[in-house]
Amino acid sequence: MTGTSDLIVIGGGPGGYVAGIRAAQLGMKVTLIEREHLGGICLNWGCIPTKSLLRSAEVLRQAQHAAEFGVSAGNVTFDLGKIVARSRKVAAQLSSGVQFLMKKNKIDVIEGSAKLLGGGKVEVTKADGKKIELTAKNIILATGARPRPLPGFEADGKLIWTSKEALIPQALPKSMLIVGSGAIGIEFASFYRALGVDVTVVEVMDRILPVEDEEISALARKAFEKQGMKIYTGATLKKCDKKTDQVTVTFEVAGRPISQTVDRVIVAIGIVGNVENIGLEATKAKVEKTHIKTNEWSATDEPGLYAIGDVAAAPWLAHKASHEGVICVEHIAGLADAHPLDLTRIPGCTYCAPQVASVGLTEAKAKAAGFDVKVGRFSFIGNGKAIVLGESEGLVKTVFDAKTGELLGAHMIGAEVTEMIQGFVIGQTLETTEKELMHAVFPHPTISEAMGESVLSAFNRALHG
Amino acid sequence: MTIQIPGRVKISPLAKRLAGILAIDVKNIKGTGPNGRIVRADVEKAKGAKQQTASSSSSVPSQGINAYAYADGLRMPYDAIPNSGMRKVIAGRLAESKRNAPHFYLTIDCELDELLTLRKRMNEAANVKVSVNDFIIRAVALAMKKVPAANVSWMEDAILQYKDIDVSVAVASPNGLITPIVKKADTKSLAQISTEMKDLIARAREGKLKPEEFQGGGFTISNLGMFGIKEFAAIINPPQSCILAVGAGEARAVVKGGAVVVAQVMTCTLSVDHRSVDGAVGATFLAAFKELIEKPFGLVNWNNL
Repeated sequence: MTGTSDLIVIGGGPGGYVAGIRAAQLGMKVTLIEREHLGGICLNWGCIPTKSLLRSAEVLRQAQHAAEFGVSAGNVTFDLGKIVARSRKVAAQLSSGVQFLMKKNKIDVIEGSAKLLGGGKVEVTKADGKKIELTAKNIILATGARPRPLPGFEADGKLIWTSKEALIPQALPKSMLIVGSGAIGIEFASFYRALGVDVTVVEVMDRILPVEDEEISALARKAFEKQGMKIYTGATLKKCDKKTDQVTVTFEVAGRPISQTVDRVIVAIGIVGNVENIGLEATKAKVEKTHIKTNEWSATDEPGLYAIGDVAAAPWLAHKASHEGVICVEHIAGLADAHPLDLTRIPGCTYCAPQVASVGLTEAKAKAAGFDVKVGRFSFIGNGKAIVLGESEGLVKTVFDAKTGELLGAHMIGAEVTEMIQGFVIGQTLETTEKELMHAVFPHPTISEAMGESVLSAFNRALHG
Repeated sequence: MTIQIPGRVKISPLAKRLAGILAIDVKNIKGTGPNGRIVRADVEKAKGAKQQTASSSSSVPSQGINAYAYADGLRMPYDAIPNSGMRKVIAGRLAESKRNAPHFYLTIDCELDELLTLRKRMNEAANVKVSVNDFIIRAVALAMKKVPAANVSWMEDAILQYKDIDVSVAVASPNGLITPIVKKADTKSLAQISTEMKDLIARAREGKLKPEEFQGGGFTISNLGMFGIKEFAAIINPPQSCILAVGAGEARAVVKGGAVVVAQVMTCTLSVDHRSVDGAVGATFLAAFKELIEKPFGLVNWNNL
């Protein structure tokens, strides 16, 4: 069996399936190849199921604090099996939603593993071993990524987990050590701590959530330690001794060796791109540090071959993958108003409690880039709605270029900030200066008022701070 | 559908502000944003184009006749000494000044006999050795205080008259001309100016001045007297409006009370930007300067010897 289409998309995650939809909208005949399940890691083993677990943790936390709001919830308990089941159900519902979208957009979905043969040809091996050959003028690789393995701490699915095992625990461990304090590590730390697990976080960098603004990192650490997490930063992992049902992890902090014996270890130190067994060697595409090298339009060095999302360059975020897919397809279609993605305007969200969200340059990065900055800060303690919600811990920090008034970055920690960051993203995308942001009317009472106040504060005009 | 409103320029707030800072006319920019909206990237691109035009026009003299080709054609041996960044800045700024600022020149002779006597006495009495140039700096500062209209910069919408009296002094360094500043020079005694200048000159020659020590100033003094130059006309140091070119003090025959006598005389020429400073203002400034040089007791800070 063979087939010809305008575009072949390899990988049905948030990069690939969105690229497919945009291509279909632009009149292309699209074939999408997926080896496991539509929606990719994001939908099945990443963003979505973790958010479901964290939502359960949040409901639990609310119920535990019900009395503060004058509500009696009795003896609050949880059922881990049901929490996990809900998470799987949510993922399954959304995956079938993607299936529907593919059908609606008349995208031909083929289940199987794809391999590039060079010159616009792709070989697909289906589950039953049958091979088919497909051809297209343009091919988009959206094969995603997988957890980065840590030598000496290889995941065994039993004692040492990657995010996948951490999403479907059979039983609740009593104690847990998480290696890595990026978004994934911290979200699992937050979830398991909420369920009462004794959680230790070990980070090699000098602070947790190392890509965030330093002030936000520090506030997050304070909040997590208050919840009872143990956090070690600037740590070097030494060894890992596995016993029958426990692991002893040894690491060093400032030359001092520390040993911790825990039930489970989660390794969350980043990802590696899925660049193997997809026939890249049959093309001119280059791989740098497990990710495919691309230009501003996601084009590889092989004519007609593109790479988007996690298999391409950082940041490795679902919304970056989707956007890259749209831009890549619009470029292939020759749309006049297609613009390369501005990597400085991609927001990042971490759904721990308190939540963390940011976009653009941190204060330190803005200064390092040579900007003369104006920094605004507004704490949730000065915000009416935050007090109403019983969520008075939080901060909105804004970083402006003193010369042009450009919003260089916004960094937030606290309740609902992952839902609020889009306000600053829109502001940045429309290229507002502080003036327009000051003219914007924020509804009262909302936590978003803290965003307006933070902008005012950068110019010494905060009204409630 | 794109709705066109005549006279309306679609531009993002950030692009608009950036264009203002860079003095770029947005009417000539093609927008690449949604519906032709001008975005930051478009202004930055226009800035690049403007700089290119500026740099190519500033090198018009060398482009008029290509010196390489000229010398090569005539087989004139030469070394091509690469231009440092500082050299290029000097070239660009002075070419811009001479091209854009309509210069006019006022020349005056100042007798130095009393000043030289006073200087000798002061240097005998004190530890600090005050130079003639230190007297000139102080005289310029006090004359500027008297004629603040000489302490200005021309802008299209306004003339900026500076509130502080900051005097730039041209110093030759191995890398080229640099102008360290004696800030608030009117408040400083001759001894203070002398000490400060010695330090500034030494560090200027070593290339160790901080940017704030040579960026700014409201007026410049260029003194080539030590080379025996009798008189010269300097190019204004933009965005300032006046520069005083100081020649060598020398014994000259002058007529006093109908008789020819010998006096130490120094010729000074003030270059003035006519956009911001008129002839009468320049002349009033020079007269005040001459008065202070010739009656130098006025230069002594009696409260702070």
